Amino acid sequence: MKARNDLAKITDFIGNYSSHLLGAGVHTSRVLRNAERIAKSQGVSVRLTYSLRNIVVSVSDPKSDETITKVIGIPVLPISFERNTDLSALSWKALDTGMSLEEIKCEYDTLVSKPRIHPAAVLAMASLANAAFCRLFNGDWLSCGIVFLSTAAGFAIRQLMQKKKVNHYITVIATAFTASMCAASSLLWECTSEIALATSPLFLVPGVPLINGIIDIMEGHVLTGCSRLINAMLIIICIAIGLAATLTIFKSSLL
Amino acid sequence: MTTHLATILTDGLLAAIAAMGFGAISNPPKRAFPRIALLAACGHALRYSLMNFADIDIATASFCAAMVIGFGSLLLGRGARCPMTVLYIPSLLPMVPGTYAYKSVFSLIMFMHSLNTPEQGVEYMQQFFLNATVSLSVIALLAAGATLPVFLFKEKAYSMTRQR
Repeated sequence: MKARNDLAKITDFIGNYSSHLLGAGVHTSRVLRNAERIAKSQGVSVRLTYSLRNIVVSVSDPKSDETITKVIGIPVLPISFERNTDLSALSWKALDTGMSLEEIKCEYDTLVSKPRIHPAAVLAMASLANAAFCRLFNGDWLSCGIVFLSTAAGFAIRQLMQKKKVNHYITVIATAFTASMCAASSLLWECTSEIALATSPLFLVPGVPLINGIIDIMEGHVLTGCSRLINAMLIIICIAIGLAATLTIFKSSLL
Repeated sequence: MTTHLATILTDGLLAAIAAMGFGAISNPPKRAFPRIALLAACGHALRYSLMNFADIDIATASFCAAMVIGFGSLLLGRGARCPMTVLYIPSLLPMVPGTYAYKSVFSLIMFMHSLNTPEQGVEYMQQFFLNATVSLSVIALLAAGATLPVFLFKEKAYSMTRQR
């Protein structure tokens, strides 16, 4: 039987663990399975209810029938596949090796403080990726070069605005506008400028919320799935607004 | 024959570069990068081949390629101890129908500027629906194709990160 104090500590940890996973862009059923593994390793059962902003965690001790319920806010974190991988592996390790709560907490703290890929490296890789994408759409080499530079400019603006904590949707519009405006410089030369313009904001495509939304809906978490898809659609609309602003300025050159 | 092979390989190589770069934005573990590149290259090269040599439409070809990526991430995920989504989401990104999405936005803008010339406006509206339908169908089928293996092999898909 667990003392109430221990049960409260487990509830707090599972709440923080689950909200961190959701904030880092993990789909709902994985968060649920991971939380259940952690709970099982501690000899308790857990029920979770989600929205996109909050998580309700209910942890019960089957021996005493005592239950503790807490509402925890989901932090806004950048998407991280590494957190997804590491924290999923931690849940299996806790279950398979019977780790104590203190050991799990200690490893959790180490994993969530791991540094991300350096922002300059991400900027360079994303720019190269978009240039390769331009080539895939049959863009010529000059367009690829312009797309590389446009993406770098757009990405730098995005990183700066994220650092200043500007609203996410405004950041996407400004980034798409900057990238497409820079790509519009291709109209000055004889090259596949339309392809350069089309490709320039595509690094903003919200692949993770789109696919997570579809997985959630197919696994029965319809409300969370729809919320994720609405979020993805809003980002797509913001990309379209940024691109549309550039196209409105240069439409006569593109006809 | 050699020219076709070179074109397919180039297509795969470019897709691999694109997938690694787009993937980097979402901070995957470093050990996942070679697998993301391989899956993206195979998937995109398959879609290119289906569209250009078997005359299959972009939506069906994307679905087939996404399924290959999904099954590939099931096979490769265990070795890297990565969840399937970590491998297949970045691998799908080079197949996003960018030019169709761009044409949808452009047609919509031109439609708004052609309100005084209804005939031209109808033409732009038609182009908007055509391009938007292709874009949405391809995106939906990409997600569905890659997710299918998760539901077919649930147990394996759910224990990728388990250390045995």
